[in-house]
Amino acid sequence: MPWSRILITLAIVLSLIALLAYGFGRDPRYIPSPLLGRPAPSFAVTLFDGGKLSLEDLRGKVVFLNFWASWCPPCRAEAKDLEEIWQRWKDKDVVFLGINIQDQEDDALAFLKEFHITYPNGRDGSGKTAIGYGVWGIPETFFIDRKGRITYKHVGTLGQTLIAAKLEEARRSLVSAKEGKGSYQSIR
Amino acid sequence: MKSEKFLRLIPYPLSLFTVLLLAVSLLFAAQPVDLEEQVRRIAAELRCPVCQNLSVADSPSELAQQMRGVVLEQLKEGKSPEQIKAYFVSKYGEWVLLAPQPKGFNLLIWLLPFVAVTAGIVLVAFVVRRWARKKPGGQPATVDPALMKRVQREAALERPLAVDPEAEGPHAPLLQQQARLYADLKELEFDYQAGKLSQADYQDLRQLSEIQAANVLKEIEISRRQIAKARKAKPMERPTPGREAARPLFRRGWVLAGAGLFLLLFGLTLGILLSRSLRPRGSEQETITGDFLTGSSKEPQSLLAQGRSAFERQEWAQAIEAFKKALAIDATNPEAHTYMGLILAQAGHSEGALMAFDQALSRDPNFPLALWGKGMLLYRAKGDFSGARQNLEKLASLLPAGKEKEELQQTLAELSSQQGKRVKTKKAAGRAQEIRGVVSIDPKLKAQADGQAVLFIIARLANSPGGSPLAVKRIDRPLFPLPYSLGQENVMMAGVPLSGKVTISARLDKDGNLMTREGDLMGEYKKNPVEVGSEKIDIVLDQVM
Repeated sequence: MPWSRILITLAIVLSLIALLAYGFGRDPRYIPSPLLGRPAPSFAVTLFDGGKLSLEDLRGKVVFLNFWASWCPPCRAEAKDLEEIWQRWKDKDVVFLGINIQDQEDDALAFLKEFHITYPNGRDGSGKTAIGYGVWGIPETFFIDRKGRITYKHVGTLGQTLIAAKLEEARRSLVSAKEGKGSYQSIR
Repeated sequence: MKSEKFLRLIPYPLSLFTVLLLAVSLLFAAQPVDLEEQVRRIAAELRCPVCQNLSVADSPSELAQQMRGVVLEQLKEGKSPEQIKAYFVSKYGEWVLLAPQPKGFNLLIWLLPFVAVTAGIVLVAFVVRRWARKKPGGQPATVDPALMKRVQREAALERPLAVDPEAEGPHAPLLQQQARLYADLKELEFDYQAGKLSQADYQDLRQLSEIQAANVLKEIEISRRQIAKARKAKPMERPTPGREAARPLFRRGWVLAGAGLFLLLFGLTLGILLSRSLRPRGSEQETITGDFLTGSSKEPQSLLAQGRSAFERQEWAQAIEAFKKALAIDATNPEAHTYMGLILAQAGHSEGALMAFDQALSRDPNFPLALWGKGMLLYRAKGDFSGARQNLEKLASLLPAGKEKEELQQTLAELSSQQGKRVKTKKAAGRAQEIRGVVSIDPKLKAQADGQAVLFIIARLANSPGGSPLAVKRIDRPLFPLPYSLGQENVMMAGVPLSGKVTISARLDKDGNLMTREGDLMGEYKKNPVEVGSEKIDIVLDQVM
């Protein structure tokens, strides 16, 4: 009788502790995205060079869509990587597009200049495009295949190897099972 | 009425028109207010993605503001609140709704509180009923008249019952209760005799106490009988009186120990979790619990490994984080300092990098990576060839023969050739055309030095002391004492050589132009004039303009 009581108490206490531990272990900021495998939300942005670009213009190409801001340290950390990998992939039917959010235009231009970024970049002043993609932590990157479907989403810095792998998957329209996470900065 | 009079002053059709206009304008004015309220209502149901438990309506964040903008826009497009909420759910997932929809697993969240409340009520009712049943009842109907008689008889005795208050045994509490009730009866009697109680009160109270005492007697009887029965049933295992008394105590001890253990466990867990979680977060990348439950270890070795791999991936922020943590555990760890130095060096902060390498070498003067880092930094960034050589040669003496050593020897060879070149050029041209020294500030005037000021070091030709400067060196925001060198590149007019005899002075200027102003600090070399090419031309700023 006392043993069964002790066991029951222990089971309850341990399960409560396990629940507590699980709760503490989670990243409370993390928001799983429902967008993986779904058609990419359409958008139209004004580029820094004055031109306009919409997602429909890019149908038939693999799109690397990167949301960033000049005040975000992880974005700065990966800027060089992105430009390098763009130089390697730009002739392979792949389009890189950076979307600057929650930023001052001057700061954004200075950022592009500092890291010698040559791929197209646009500004999302109203935040509508970012909300359309459920952006909450930057850099946030979406890989879109030729048919306009999101094959992979990554919150935070990527690294060149991962970018190359995911671009290859997007070319083959392979949808990842899970989104990825690197070091990120919550947006404001 | 005043308003009627006022209305009469206006021609009738006109007043009607104004009223109509007013009504229409009110209607239009009312609509945006309504829309705003609608936006607020929808936003109040959405969770702000970048806040912690704030609705989009309440959050001051930029994202929440933009989300309210999207809500307003969609309302204007004629979408229903449900459609708008569905839009946000399709972007951020169910997560974005502050109240999860009562479907599937979520249903549990909605039902659980009600289930818990019902279970609680049932439990309380159950427990209360058990208590009520246990309580010694005061119903006179169940009292045995013989027992009543015994109570009256015993209570009437001069000394009714003497019970040792520290007596032990299975009936000790009951016996004590009985003695107390007898004492009460005595006291009642006394009060009645003294005229403190009315007859009716006395009888009521007396009966109550007698009934209670009778019940206690009955309980004692029952318990005695039970013990006797137990002894009869197990005559071989007759427990000694000591063990009999100890048994309930022993059980209570178990319960106490269990409760204590539980409290200890709970307290420890809570303490550990809270102490790990309630600390300022170093960066956005950290989870609330830091590394405690997320797997990564606090061992310096694994932190260093983490840092190294981040360093190799060129993820500087992560690498810095890991090495900082390693240094928090072991403040002099040479490897962590060295890697910090390498990161600083690649970012162009050579001073900080040098400091880090020195710290690493102060703990372990033979740490190869620090020797290499310091040597290369002195060589490439600082141009201090002899310092570089010293460090790299030391490293070369430590390295075993192999590819790395060969490369190092190559670098050393390159270094010597560079050094040779430098010495030659210096001998040929450099030295003769330079003036070197240190500018310092009079300790008494230190307070007047402005951190934002600009220091000018001026060389004038010795034969025209008040004339225009020959060469000027400008240093923004100087830190004293400041070593300087004035060379050909500082000459104001192109083509004029810096040579011959000059007077050297320095001025700390508040506004950054060459004109003197009140409050500027001045200083001159005490043994002016000097020959160009001299060294140790030290200037002290000791005059105020």
